[in-house]
Amino acid sequence: MALKSIKRREKDLTFLEKLYIPEILKGLTLTFKNMIRPKFTFEYPEEKFIPPSSYRGRPVLVEDSNGEERCVACGLCSRVCPALAIEVQAGETEREKERYPEKFEINMLRCIFCGFCEEVCPEEAIIMSKDYELAFSNREDAIYGKDKLLVPISQIQDKIDFLRQYK
Amino acid sequence: MPKIKIDNNEIEFKPGQTIIQAARDNGIDIPHFCWHPELSISGNCRICLVEVEKIPKLVIACSTIASEGMVVHTQSEKTIAARNAVMEFLLINHPLDCPICDEAGECKLQDYAYKYSVGESRFTEEKVHKQKHVDLGPRVMFDGERCISCSRCIRFCDEIAKSPQLTFVQRGDHVTITTYPGQQMDNPYSMNTIDICPVGALTSKDFRFNARVWDMSATKSVCPGCSRGCNTEVWVRDNKILRLTPRYNPQVNSYWMCDHGRLNTFRFVNAEDRIDSPQLRREGQLIKVGWDEAFAEAVSRIKSFAKDEVAFIGSAYATCEDNYILAKFARSVVGSSNIDFVRRADNNFGDDILKQNDITPNSLGAELVGVSPSKSGLGIEGIKKGIKEKRIKALYVIKEDFINVDPEIENMLSKLDLLIVHASNQSKTTSVADIIFPAATYAEKNGTFVNFEGTIQRIRPAVSTVDADRALDGFEMSRLDKFGTSFDRWARGTKHDAKATWKILTSLAGLLGHKMKFKMAEEVFEEMASIEAFKGLTYDDLGEHGVKIKTGNVEEKVNA
Amino acid sequence: MSIGEVIIFSLIKILIIVGLLFLTVAYLVYFERKVSAWAQNRIGPNRVGWKGVLQPFADVFKLLLKEDIVPEKSDRIIHALAPMIALFVAFTTFAVIPFGPDVKIFGYNIPLVVADVNIGVLFILALTSLGVYAITLAGWSSGSKYSLLGGIRSSAQMISYEISMGFSVGGVLLLSESLRPIAIVQSQSGWMWNAIIQPIGFITFVVSAFAETNRLPFDLPEAEPELVGGFHTEYSSMKFAGFFLSEYANMTIASAFIVTLYLGGWQIPYIDLLGLPSGLVIVLQVGAFIFKLVAMLFFFLWIRWSLPRFRYDQLMSLGWKVMFPLSLINIIWVALLIMVFGL
Ligand code: SF4
Ligand code: SF4
Ligand code: SF4
Ligand code: SF4
Repeated sequence: MALKSIKRREKDLTFLEKLYIPEILKGLTLTFKNMIRPKFTFEYPEEKFIPPSSYRGRPVLVEDSNGEERCVACGLCSRVCPALAIEVQAGETEREKERYPEKFEINMLRCIFCGFCEEVCPEEAIIMSKDYELAFSNREDAIYGKDKLLVPISQIQDKIDFLRQYK
Repeated sequence: MPKIKIDNNEIEFKPGQTIIQAARDNGIDIPHFCWHPELSISGNCRICLVEVEKIPKLVIACSTIASEGMVVHTQSEKTIAARNAVMEFLLINHPLDCPICDEAGECKLQDYAYKYSVGESRFTEEKVHKQKHVDLGPRVMFDGERCISCSRCIRFCDEIAKSPQLTFVQRGDHVTITTYPGQQMDNPYSMNTIDICPVGALTSKDFRFNARVWDMSATKSVCPGCSRGCNTEVWVRDNKILRLTPRYNPQVNSYWMCDHGRLNTFRFVNAEDRIDSPQLRREGQLIKVGWDEAFAEAVSRIKSFAKDEVAFIGSAYATCEDNYILAKFARSVVGSSNIDFVRRADNNFGDDILKQNDITPNSLGAELVGVSPSKSGLGIEGIKKGIKEKRIKALYVIKEDFINVDPEIENMLSKLDLLIVHASNQSKTTSVADIIFPAATYAEKNGTFVNFEGTIQRIRPAVSTVDADRALDGFEMSRLDKFGTSFDRWARGTKHDAKATWKILTSLAGLLGHKMKFKMAEEVFEEMASIEAFKGLTYDDLGEHGVKIKTGNVEEKVNA
Repeated sequence: MSIGEVIIFSLIKILIIVGLLFLTVAYLVYFERKVSAWAQNRIGPNRVGWKGVLQPFADVFKLLLKEDIVPEKSDRIIHALAPMIALFVAFTTFAVIPFGPDVKIFGYNIPLVVADVNIGVLFILALTSLGVYAITLAGWSSGSKYSLLGGIRSSAQMISYEISMGFSVGGVLLLSESLRPIAIVQSQSGWMWNAIIQPIGFITFVVSAFAETNRLPFDLPEAEPELVGGFHTEYSSMKFAGFFLSEYANMTIASAFIVTLYLGGWQIPYIDLLGLPSGLVIVLQVGAFIFKLVAMLFFFLWIRWSLPRFRYDQLMSLGWKVMFPLSLINIIWVALLIMVFGL
């Protein structure tokens, strides 16, 4: 039986490469070059990254200029959310749209910032803000209720304008 | 049997059937809004238009009588175009309400819009606006804009509830529904209109905006509101019952249930006054204790009485399994034949539609499994007398608040040395009890009820207790239940620490030296199947619609 | 000098050296973090103190406050002993490294070395090979398979590279004809640095030194991806810090040793020709030693953040099939030099 041909590497090393030393030197030059390159680090708490409008930070609820939430508690965001982060309890109101969220909670530990909720919302009521500062020291704190979720529309207008371009 | 051909399927039909019925009996679904199998034919929605060969125009399948050799097309180009046109027409004045509409998720119009409509409207004019919050009756809200004028609700009131209260007014695109002047839609079956309304025009005031249908789990159960035993679905979210809806059972309740059953038979499950742990009376006060302590106390107290001094009260609210084990416990563990249950009738409750005067779900079952005095034992009157005369010193009661039925008992009970009660909620009886065991409600356990006609039907657990696990014990699960973790508030929910009565009794029997080897209600039922009436039945045989059993003379005894 | 004075001076020198060594090691850690940050286009620690210079103290403080976890199945005594051995070996070795020529203070002629022993080089080789005990014992006593594997790897690696290291040193000894570190330094006057005369020996020695100190690319005993930290998997708090410090101390020693053996020690070529005052010369020479040391240390770090880790079989075949023959060739080369040029 003929021996199977020995599998060769895609690219065999040349003699010079086998010597290691020149290759090591190449590697060293590369790292050295990087050492003296300028740095781009944001020194976070002092210097903050201001994300572009396409950024998906924590989801917020839009508070319209009349001080009321836009959300009608349809629960679509809660349904579409792949991470089951959103809990909505609807209630009845006297307002024109009949329904409003009695309770609206997003568990920021569950949220994966996919933006599906923003996409599905029929009322343009939930928006992925530019806020990325989410740190908690216990699980309960990570559940944001309406008090933390509602944001006046003026603060997220740029984000809404951005979204409208693609509608 | 004569045959017709629908979409190349040759099917048989009974003479006189309409096309839509013939198709439905053979599993072919022809879209329909206004047609309902239990209501008269109205033929006004036009979505069921089908093409029949040799008839020049499309016909409506709901009112065209099938005849031998008919060839029907439900998927032809013409039919599809017609359906699309009907959909476009129905949607012309329909508001874009789905996000705030309770029907969304179980709405026929929504479903058909996906299935049969191209999803585009050529209508650019202003939609007709109608009234949106109309109080039709104490339990039902009406939204004029969502109504598609199918007239199902009108026909239901006329034909099934036998109380004509609704009618159309106005004409053309302004047509709307209202009650007759000076009337309300308040018949005892009014909420069925909510179920049969194909859209979200009629909504339940009780359930309004409570939950989206896709967030709940639906468990097949039976209404415990009266001895009719209407088949229901129990809708649960976050371990809390939010609504009940009727479930089709041709032998028992068809598509319907009464408003009383729908609204009042689940609140006590969610109620605040649930008994949440075993309780003992110490120095005149009821205190909460652990199960083991309560069991130990019960065992030692029961042992201190002669067997004839103990009497047992079963319950027509409890399942056959619970009553069976109670009877067994009384006769073979304690050795007493003083056992009976309280019969309850409300002569103002029944009617000739569904409601029955016997307002308990299982009096026939209790009787059949032996919760009735045998030769030497005392019946309920005998027990009362016995207590008065101090011959009966200990009373064991399951699921019964009989002080409410018969206030004179209250004074009697104080004569007792020992009163053990299984109860789910606080009541007058529990307030005088010496030992209380928290009992699972009908929505928290498996079991069977026998209705007034002798149909034995299953109930299934929909709400989980500390004793049960949603996933492991085969509950229906909503999406939230499936993916929740112990860190999610909705998954933690409020679980009551309650056990099925038969389970509690089994444990007690074990401690009294009589091992009963039951792990599941199903095993209890298997043993029960030795009783003549249940001969050879299993839970599987009962299926979704139950089985009619021979009840012999017991039926007369109970219904007398 | 009387015995008493010798003891006093030695004690002073020991104190200075140990103090300096601790500082060096502490700042080496800081330096390592900085270099790694630079190599990766980051800034590195810059929060504690000006530009983060107090970071090492923060680190130590943190480690001190950590819980000391001793695994249940470990051999408690040896588990505690291992990091001490590591530290002891690392610090003792420094005793024989000369960091400057003799100085005259208060009329005493003081050599800038703690102990000018005539078998200095052997002493260093002996002690550093003791260092492997610390690692092997740590791995064995932890009662964890990862640790054990790390320990075994370490001893095998040590044996393999000790040989080529020994032979490389052989070349140096042939030239200096002495085992005294001071003599070796003195023999490299002018540009007669061993690194220049015997480059092969230099390379094999440096590579072996990397292997001996368990530095990347030879840090197989602790290889995180497969051994989860290897011999120190089960160490925490200050015991872990012991290993950590000894690794950096070893690095410093290896660098000092390399400087002594191959880079002319404290010597600055032809400085005596400039006719500077002798005090200044000594200061400059100590400075030169420190400069060379720091350069060598930087090289250690630089390599670490440039090269990937070897595979274990590669490590072994490199040790036995390449380094060992090369160091033999080096000896022959040096012998030839001596024969031909009579160096
Ligand atoms: S961003 Fe995604 S994961 Fe987060 S709440 Fe919205 S839908 Fe859920
Ligand atoms: S999808 Fe929009 S309107 Fe609906 S519940 Fe979510 S935020 Fe509210
Ligand atoms: S009735 Fe149906 S289609 Fe109309 S708004 Fe309600 S869910 Fe949507
Ligand atoms: S008729 Fe009886 S069983 Fe049916 S729903 Fe009403 S109360 Fe329940």
